[in-house]
Amino acid sequence: MYPGGVHAVAGVDLDVFPGEIHALCGENGAGKTTLASIAAGKLKATGGTVVAHGNVGLVHQHFELVDRLRVWENVVLGREPHRGAELDRAAARAEVEKLSREYGLAVDPDAVIESLPVGIAQRVELLRELARDPAVLILDEPTAVLAPAEIDALFATVRALAARGTAVLIITHKLQEVVAHTSRITVMRAGKVVARLETAQTNVDDIARAMVGGELPELAARLETAPKPALAVRGVSAGESSLAVRNASFEVHGGEIVGVAGVEGNGQSALADAIAGVIPYLGSIELDGVALPVGDPARRIAQGIRTIPQDRRREALVLSWSIVDNVALGDQRRPSLRKGVTVDRGAARELAKRIVERFDVRTPSVDTSVSELSGGNQQKVVVGRALAHDPKFLLVYQPTRGIDVGAAALVQSRLIEARNAGVAVFLISFELDEVLALSDRVIVMYRGAVVGTFERGALDRARIGSLMAGAA
Amino acid sequence: MIRGLAIGLALALFAAAAMLLAGANPLLGFWALFRGALGGVPQISETLVQTTALLFPSLAVAFAFRAGLFNIGAEGQLVIGGLVAGVIGARLETSGLIAIPLLLIAGSAGGAAWGAIAGVLRARFGGSEVIATLMLNIVAALLANYLVVGPLHSPGVAGPETAELPHSSWLPALLPGTRLTVALLIALALAFVLRWVFARTVFGYELRAVGDAPEAARRAGINLAKTAFVTMALSGAMAGLGGATIVTGVLHRFNVSLSPGYGFIAIAVALVGDLDPLRIIIASFAFGILQSGALSMQALAHVPKDVVSFVEGLAIVALAARRFVAGRKQMTALAPE
Repeated sequence: MYPGGVHAVAGVDLDVFPGEIHALCGENGAGKTTLASIAAGKLKATGGTVVAHGNVGLVHQHFELVDRLRVWENVVLGREPHRGAELDRAAARAEVEKLSREYGLAVDPDAVIESLPVGIAQRVELLRELARDPAVLILDEPTAVLAPAEIDALFATVRALAARGTAVLIITHKLQEVVAHTSRITVMRAGKVVARLETAQTNVDDIARAMVGGELPELAARLETAPKPALAVRGVSAGESSLAVRNASFEVHGGEIVGVAGVEGNGQSALADAIAGVIPYLGSIELDGVALPVGDPARRIAQGIRTIPQDRRREALVLSWSIVDNVALGDQRRPSLRKGVTVDRGAARELAKRIVERFDVRTPSVDTSVSELSGGNQQKVVVGRALAHDPKFLLVYQPTRGIDVGAAALVQSRLIEARNAGVAVFLISFELDEVLALSDRVIVMYRGAVVGTFERGALDRARIGSLMAGAA
Repeated sequence: MIRGLAIGLALALFAAAAMLLAGANPLLGFWALFRGALGGVPQISETLVQTTALLFPSLAVAFAFRAGLFNIGAEGQLVIGGLVAGVIGARLETSGLIAIPLLLIAGSAGGAAWGAIAGVLRARFGGSEVIATLMLNIVAALLANYLVVGPLHSPGVAGPETAELPHSSWLPALLPGTRLTVALLIALALAFVLRWVFARTVFGYELRAVGDAPEAARRAGINLAKTAFVTMALSGAMAGLGGATIVTGVLHRFNVSLSPGYGFIAIAVALVGDLDPLRIIIASFAFGILQSGALSMQALAHVPKDVVSFVEGLAIVALAARRFVAGRKQMTALAPE
């Protein structure tokens, strides 16, 4: 129950049978994660019962791993094998390796979690739950951060689990996957079940309509591109070892969206950080033909280079602050948002109201702290802020990760509008469908290098897929 | 507010228990404590002297804390501020209109320099300001002792202190015949200025962003290293100013034992005041009562004055626990959906 007496979940009945793959769909804030937490015994319901025949495992959307510990340490955490008082490292590592082989979830048992890309960290979380041999496995947004090949592998694992009699509940926004891999679907809205569907007798549109309770917003029409060079990346190398970007060169023109297709961990993160100016790099990054100094994110922001970072909760927002305070972040020295040495709170409030209105941010007030908003609404604030001051260049990293279809469609259509208004948009996403749908040009990254470029008219999904996988 | 009262009541109960253990009558102990602190004009003015001495370093600690920096070194910065003011003040014969502002500024600069050492270590090398400021307390005490006894020794002075400052350099008294000076007004003004800085200014906004979400602040173009350096220097300046007011207003000379640990008690005061400058004024007054009533408690009720240190220690533990619990609650609130 949220403060104020609103139930996050109210009077929900849900059965998941052994051997079944069941999808739980709904917009952000619909109560899916709350329901999952209750089912897994991590949250107490104020009424009703949960009956499970065995362990319930829960794989979180935001991983609950100890960043500083190794993979095997995380997997056995809480039930460590031991000889007397001593931790039996060999047994623990062997168990992790065995699980990893058995479920086809390849991972280095000695890697430290914080050094792993998100996709691999998720495998660790999955292994940890599988080690407890759960009768019910709940996966919260499991594919949000995965590349297509990884998604296939995950569903292969899930199907194998179901075949052994595990009851699997998948919480997801990706309706294609729901249709492709599940047998039954439960749709929630505002804490209640609004539809129970047999997968074989439904389709993506019906599920989406049940989720949002109406028609999906249409993507805005595309205008003709009027390219003028905005940002040029020339021979940029940055980052560390396997996650580095190597000698990347490309241009993004005003009025176009350039998308990066690539499996996570192929240099996208280092490239984004170099462009944002928060890590050192070799080579040059030019705005309107003038090389930017290495580092110095403040100068980039002042010149109209805006970024929507990967981790909105840590890198984009001050969670404990209100929407008003957050919309000024990065622009606190902009003349329109200050009066001499003080922050112009009136102007910030007006800006917050404009963003809330234009981006349909669902919030009781602009003074609400952003930690109380759902992921989708937090992202709308971040995108709204980035577009508020007529940027020249916008870098978006996984803009729709883990947010509901309604919010995702809105964010995407705002990106297209920005493009049509002449902004150079650079899109990094691990969802190939998103990249292909939005981009005027697609570059493919593999092992830190740009290995292919496709104009919109010549997009070749199969060719892009094989380049992403490392084909020459 | 109710929680504050509850904590206060719990601390009072612990204090009573400690007095019982020390073989004294708690009621008599409290009576002596409050009479010693608030029993008349001389007592109240002495309590306000203690309040002032606590307020400067407490604001210093809170200021750094808001930027996410744990300045344990207010004590050392206060000592250096006092040292600089005392060494210059003892040698300066000029009109008070020039001397007093000069000595206060010099003391602030001394404290700023001392805080900036930890700031540089943090900004350039990522060194922990906790360790640096903690260690610099010891260095400050030893350096001050060495300088006033050795190279900067004043002729005719026996102890580890400077010569007396000329009368013209003394801070004007607020109440004639007491040690209460305009330092109180300076400290109060500083508190109000800080509140304005936090709530209104771009600088305060950036400082809070760094303290509350460093990675988001960095990506918003705020220079973390520079902020850490400036914050530590300004925090040190506030503590140093406090030291300078003790020298120019209370002791009229620098003495190595000018502070009974104001810089350490300040950590508790800042936390009791929830890092809010105006609430820190109230917290400083509460701790000022303890400081100034302690001796009377010992004399009249035969309660060891260490009971006060005991209560102050408990307050720190209680507040640390409260912040820990609040931190856990926040973590829970940050859970998805």
